[in-house]
Amino acid sequence: MDAGLDKVQAIWEKETAVVEGMDISGPWNRMFEQRVIWEYTPDLIDQIASIEGAESFAWCYQCAKCVPVCPVDVVGDYGPRKLYRKSQTGIDWTQGPDLWLCTTCANCLRVCPKLVDMVQIMPALREQALLSGNNVPAELQEALENTFRYGNPLGQPPRKRDAWVKKAGVPVPLLYKEKRPVEWLWWVECYPSYHPRGIDASIALAKIFNALAIDFGILGREEKCAGDSQRLAGEKGLFEMLAEQNIATLSKYEFERMVVTDPHALNAFRKYYPKYGGEYEVWHYTQLLVQHLDRLRELMTQPLNRKVTFHDPCYLGRHNGEYEAPRQLIQALPGVEFVEMWRCRENGYCCGGGGGGMWLDGYVVNYQRRRLSEQRVLEAIATGADTLVVVCPYEVSRFEDAVKSTGNEGKLEVKDIAELIAEAMGV
Amino acid sequence: MASETVLVIGGGPAGMEAARSVADLGYPVLLVERRDRLGGRPEEEHYAKLTHHFREAEDMIRELVEAVTTHSNVTVMTSSEVVGCEGEPGNFRVKIRNGASAEEVTVGSIIVATGFQHFDPGRETQMYNYYTFPDVITIADLEGMLKAHQVVRPSNGQPPERVAFIQCVGSRDRQIGNEFCSKVCCGIASKQAIEVKQQLPDSRVFIFYIDMRMYGYWENEIYWPAQEEYKVNYVKGIVSEILPKGDRLLIRGEDTTMGRPMEVTVDLVVLSVGMEPSEGTRKIAKILDIRQNKYGYIEAGGPTGVDPVATSRPGIFVAGAASGPADLDDTFATAGLAAARAVATVRRLQLAKAA
Repeated sequence: MDAGLDKVQAIWEKETAVVEGMDISGPWNRMFEQRVIWEYTPDLIDQIASIEGAESFAWCYQCAKCVPVCPVDVVGDYGPRKLYRKSQTGIDWTQGPDLWLCTTCANCLRVCPKLVDMVQIMPALREQALLSGNNVPAELQEALENTFRYGNPLGQPPRKRDAWVKKAGVPVPLLYKEKRPVEWLWWVECYPSYHPRGIDASIALAKIFNALAIDFGILGREEKCAGDSQRLAGEKGLFEMLAEQNIATLSKYEFERMVVTDPHALNAFRKYYPKYGGEYEVWHYTQLLVQHLDRLRELMTQPLNRKVTFHDPCYLGRHNGEYEAPRQLIQALPGVEFVEMWRCRENGYCCGGGGGGMWLDGYVVNYQRRRLSEQRVLEAIATGADTLVVVCPYEVSRFEDAVKSTGNEGKLEVKDIAELIAEAMGV
Repeated sequence: MASETVLVIGGGPAGMEAARSVADLGYPVLLVERRDRLGGRPEEEHYAKLTHHFREAEDMIRELVEAVTTHSNVTVMTSSEVVGCEGEPGNFRVKIRNGASAEEVTVGSIIVATGFQHFDPGRETQMYNYYTFPDVITIADLEGMLKAHQVVRPSNGQPPERVAFIQCVGSRDRQIGNEFCSKVCCGIASKQAIEVKQQLPDSRVFIFYIDMRMYGYWENEIYWPAQEEYKVNYVKGIVSEILPKGDRLLIRGEDTTMGRPMEVTVDLVVLSVGMEPSEGTRKIAKILDIRQNKYGYIEAGGPTGVDPVATSRPGIFVAGAASGPADLDDTFATAGLAAARAVATVRRLQLAKAA
């Protein structure tokens, strides 16, 4: 274990604490909470379970398997079991921060013997909060309004969505200009279109696609956010609007398959767009690249001399079952030693960005002793790796910020796999 | 002419006890066992001690084997499998295969005692890594170690200092598909915890549980002594993460009574794997055309719903863990009842014919 983790643990879980001669041992907040349970009332559980999508909340039998694997509990005090228990003792947690801490990472669902499904429960309850306007964090509200107004949560002008293409240095066909059928429609998504580090990865991926002679095109300024994280944050109406608009745009062009940069978009296209009539064969870009592994091996001639570890995105791994493609790509990189973090694959630790968490960093920090992204970066550093490889556009910026905020600048580089492949190819 | 022979399928505790009971009632028994010897799961998995007064399982099995093999009314066929069955009570024509040869026998009634198998922890959704971490074992593995007086960490052959049992592995789980309680694991884990402490007095033993289901004598004969005399630590809350920590294992859970996170380093993790219908139970249900429940166990209950040995087909009865998780008390009880019902079936036909 690294020293950073131990230190915080010691503060958090001190066995005894004596302040000015007074023994105040125990979790810090316990003394502020009502100590005696006055009554057991199932009213709140019934109320929650009566909401469509939240039915399974009532199934919990308090085994607590969900709590240790909850990424939020690792840095705080959380977990589906605790929410059920609070409800049982009459504490309406839906009116407080507990409603917004869940990242819908699905690690609780993976271990739950009763299939209590927070991935469905949380959006259903959050929708109620958004409809009532109560208990909605301001920064989340802003991201949702931006998405509504501009088609992206960053609040960037839609026409600038394809501005990065000019900097790519290789052809990136814009379908609204070229109007020709392509084999692969590349769904770039918001952060890879606007965020500077996202653009770095997009340019790298465009170079790789060109080098592999993949026939692709992008929607550019006609693309809008796929909307999955907004849906999970409770904005079902906004999601439906985006889905309908995107499906209408896609219907204008001829393509065989879609390749997406963002695992959240992958999730939306695979599981939710079909309900609105948008049925596509959708691949994550690592799944496409791994099909060209032999050719990539020939092209990747420059040793990288890195020791790398890999972060599984929740929406690629647990939600969509892909663990191998990114690892195969990493293992094909020349001059790279690959080490796994202690939480990986099915038990991968969440970066904190999913389920609306991307737009709640300022809010959740008040209820956690560190951000999930910071926890993950410490775990990456503990492996001795110098590079953290990511394959989800939320993560480069999240983890780079976390490297700085944990005081580890210079110790860990965060790279999209596309950037490393392009580097090894010398393009 | 109605046959008065009772066919017993399965040579474990349930089958042997049923065969012995039928024979003692004075009727001929044909006992068919798939393996090359009698003894069933306790013999095959090298069980150490029973929860009953910590008797050696081997002694109990030896007595049963002796009873059936020396009884003049019992014919034992090993390395044999029932592969077909037609007919009705008093006249079941049953096809039995032994290696390359097959024969057809006529029997009056049938007792199915094909038992259970241990849950395969490779299917566990917690990722307890049974097949990855050598020091994660099952209660079945530990039985063998206890029997050999060799409780060690498989990774290095050294005795463990700290041992953790995890309950309800593969049981009470909608996700895995086994929603039932396996009934015996609470008692077995506690019994094993005592045995570990007897063999390794300096070790520390933890049991992580959701509910301890210690009914009847298990409460006072096992649960209380485990806590009071052997200082076994019972912690409410299930471990859901096992992480490698150097050459040991870090287990993470929540102590739900304290409402606090729990992280403990241990040397050996024992998964209390539950029961599932054996492959033989699943197969024989199809061959005999008797109903199974949604988990694959043979459905018992009969027309009254409360008969623990009646199957959906008259003249065919079920004993032991083929109809659901059962301990040896349950097994002997249903074996005896199945024997009575099977004999009654052939006797009723004999009396009807005589009248």
